Amino acid sequence: MAFFTVNNVKIRGIAACVPQTVEENSSLPFYKTPEEAKQVINAIGIERRHIASADIAVSDLCCKAADQILAALGWGKESIDLLALITQNPDYLNHPTSFVVHERMGFPDSTMCLDYFHGCPGWVTTLSSVASMISNGGIKRALLLDGDTVSKDQGAASREERPLFGDAAIATALEFCEGAQPMYFNIGTLSEGGKALARLQGGYRHPYTLETLKSELGRLAGTLQDKEIYKMDSMDVFSFAITKIPKAIKRLCVTFGVSIDDVDLFVLHQANKMIVDSIAKRLKISEEKVPLSLKNYGNTTSVSIPLTMATTSAKRYRNEQLKNVVCGFGTGLAWGAAFFETENLVIPEIQYI
Amino acid sequence: MNLNNFIENFADQFEETDASAFTPDTKFKELEEWSSLIALSIIAMVDEEYDITLKGDDIRNSATILDLFNIVKGKS
Repeated sequence: MAFFTVNNVKIRGIAACVPQTVEENSSLPFYKTPEEAKQVINAIGIERRHIASADIAVSDLCCKAADQILAALGWGKESIDLLALITQNPDYLNHPTSFVVHERMGFPDSTMCLDYFHGCPGWVTTLSSVASMISNGGIKRALLLDGDTVSKDQGAASREERPLFGDAAIATALEFCEGAQPMYFNIGTLSEGGKALARLQGGYRHPYTLETLKSELGRLAGTLQDKEIYKMDSMDVFSFAITKIPKAIKRLCVTFGVSIDDVDLFVLHQANKMIVDSIAKRLKISEEKVPLSLKNYGNTTSVSIPLTMATTSAKRYRNEQLKNVVCGFGTGLAWGAAFFETENLVIPEIQYI
Repeated sequence: MNLNNFIENFADQFEETDASAFTPDTKFKELEEWSSLIALSIIAMVDEEYDITLKGDDIRNSATILDLFNIVKGKS
């Protein structure tokens, strides 16, 4: 079972970057009346989202976030041993995006690059991997970049998807620190339901044909609805989230002797408000311990947990010592739950491009 | 598991539809208020009240409230 402890690692800071363009859910074209839009917005808790225009790719957002965190911490590029990057929307299909960032920012050849292909649970899952690499002291400093432009995957006419997803990137700075409080992880996989979120065409299993490419472009432009191309089964994903995730968090806490009452903040993947509320209710934790960023940013896939830390709860993370439970879930289907402590994180103001 | 109780819990997920509209034979997807959001509330209600996990297909394969009741009953 993937329950494990990582010693000697501290999170030093996080920096966020989002596209400047904002799309208001109240003005989406497919709502017939303002009341209809309001009803959906109330249920999902998402009022607006930042949307990457055609000329903004994941590396653009990641470079800006990385610049900010390095400057805020006063870390030189030559001190970064590992540059890790999580994305589902790479700049290029066959060239890892961490190399793009390495080249553009001018990292030295002593910096290792590593891409992780992961969805919503990705920040937690990758944190477990990167922190484990730091843990024995060989790698002293790592930047964990995480960015998606997932709005570019959503059909313009899709009522189920378009109101949910926003674009964002985060840089998380990690450092070896002997004797740091341990991080605890519970990572799980339920791949049986995984295709519920899969985009089936356009990979190497089903390369685009002229016909499937046409329908894909039609779906994105909103002139065609084809559930088979990108089918998000919201009912299956919802039922997975509200039943498995509270249990995953409880088992993490029981396994490592963490009392749920002692946890200061539960930062959950910002899937939508119904899901976050249902999980909090099942864990019997009060609202003020469950910060939300989805109102202004939407569901930003794997970025949503650190984005919430760096926006809604930035003040607390800057000024306090906190015990945190985080849990990412979705794509896989899978979850990544973790407990870690933070102390006066360095969080620069959010950046826009 | 009690059918009347299930129908009551089912009806609680709707705001506008009159309680009298809910019978074992009600074709719930034909109700004007039915939406994908209410489908999610039903899944949450069944998890909370009966500790049963419904899948998307369970909702899709049910026409009437009785159909869904039987699915929940079959899983308990």
